[in-house]
Amino acid sequence: MSLILMRRRAVDAIAFLFASAATAFGLFWLFWILWTTFRQGLGALNVALFTQMTPPPGSGGGLLNAFYGSAVMILLAVVIGAPLGIAAGTYLAEHGRYSRLARTVSFLNDVLLSAPSIVIGLFVYEIVVRTSGHFSGYAGAVALAMILLPIIVRTSDEALRLVPDQMREAAFALGIPRWRVTAQILYKAALTAILTGVLLGVARIAGETAPLLFTALNNQFWSGSLSGPLANVPVVIFQYAMSPYDEWHALAWAGALVLTLFVLGLNLAVRMIARRTSK
Amino acid sequence: MIELIEPLTRSEQRTDAQVKIEVRDLDFFYGTTQALKNVSLSVPAHAVTAIIGPSGCGKSTLLRTLNRIYEIYPDQRADGEILIDGEDILDRRFPLSDLRRRVGMVFQKPTPFATSIRNNVAFALSYYERLSKAEMTDRVEDALRQAALWDEVKDKLGASALSLSGGQQQRLCIARTLAVKPDVILLDEPTSALDPISTARIEELIHELRERFTIVIVTHNMQQAARVSQRTAFFHLGELIELGDTAQIFTNPRVPRTQDYITGRYG
Repeated sequence: MSLILMRRRAVDAIAFLFASAATAFGLFWLFWILWTTFRQGLGALNVALFTQMTPPPGSGGGLLNAFYGSAVMILLAVVIGAPLGIAAGTYLAEHGRYSRLARTVSFLNDVLLSAPSIVIGLFVYEIVVRTSGHFSGYAGAVALAMILLPIIVRTSDEALRLVPDQMREAAFALGIPRWRVTAQILYKAALTAILTGVLLGVARIAGETAPLLFTALNNQFWSGSLSGPLANVPVVIFQYAMSPYDEWHALAWAGALVLTLFVLGLNLAVRMIARRTSK
Repeated sequence: MIELIEPLTRSEQRTDAQVKIEVRDLDFFYGTTQALKNVSLSVPAHAVTAIIGPSGCGKSTLLRTLNRIYEIYPDQRADGEILIDGEDILDRRFPLSDLRRRVGMVFQKPTPFATSIRNNVAFALSYYERLSKAEMTDRVEDALRQAALWDEVKDKLGASALSLSGGQQQRLCIARTLAVKPDVILLDEPTSALDPISTARIEELIHELRERFTIVIVTHNMQQAARVSQRTAFFHLGELIELGDTAQIFTNPRVPRTQDYITGRYG
């Protein structure tokens, strides 16, 4: 009896040790990355970063045009991807729950979800950049939207499925038609989960570089228009980090830090929203 | 067996009791599993009919055919006739929205919508009727009063329905159902998730509502069936075993299986 107990305690201790070690291992790299980003980026963080354009080699500057470009492309990607994704997720969870078509769509969505982002970049390059004849912010936004779309489809599908069937039955039992039940009852119940999905999707596309290389390209100068090449944070970081110039290196680190903080902030916001509603 | 019982129960029925729901030869299938077998029974208006029986006997299934809520699941099917006020509601042409407005349903677990107390009641109402703000306020109050919830919530109608206790949530669900002025109320084990005090309040409420509505309640709790109902139907393995006045079913059941169940020999 006590032998069994001792054995169980030993197994428990070993399992605990492994689990803790695995956690520590994961956290170690995360903190190392964060530490390096902060150490290198903080030095380059100043007002000029947010007020000046990307400089030519050898002179000071900021990343204003890149921040602007990233912001509008992400925004446009959300405007394109979120309604479509939520609509498709609604179809999967509500209207087509038992249909073969929905299962097919769901499977294809999973394929799109795991498609390498560079492939999506090439695809948009073929259908938008080549047909229009030039790189553009629109093409970049379309590429980001295509990465965002399957994430939102999946999360809103799951968010709606998490709403208990009793809630649906209760609403249908009042004689309310399906679209109204979805719009007024289910979306309300699933709101935070759907919003979480959108925010996590934004966090994901904020750092995407590969699809932008083929679509928005980059632009060293200020351009408010989306119909030409557009500066953006990930590609600027990529180019500046690869360059031989110290000023550019510093800017790349500063951009990386801001990007990291942005993603970190989004994740924290998601946590806070989830916590507030679970109360 | 059913043929044997029917004449007895019919003769016992008070002649002034008007029949609200008439179920004829009802079969029900979950996919290929048959859950109700050739069920025929009638439900009198302005009275409480309790449906009792062991788990899986088909009592909830019967309730779920009366407002066709089973139709949201594509593999569920009902065959037969259910006449409400003489009209066959299983007929595909019978408008679902009308049916569910006339036949309200309250479920086992309270299902408040994730919105304010007021909106929970107003939600269905605003779909069926075009009401001014003042009229809406009156109707919401009226429904909450009928459900004996008004005094507890009148100062916080804007608060989230999720902040109410389980018993209050269940009365809110009843208020929500009453708001659209149904004739029939289906209660599917409405107190099984509630504490004894909340249960007592719901039972009182059922007493109060009995005069004006036709109520069908499914319950696991035989004492509850005895307390709240005038008629009781006993189901076993998808068949109606016995239907009669509640007093008769509990004191003098005619079928041995009913006797065995109410004396606790199985179920």
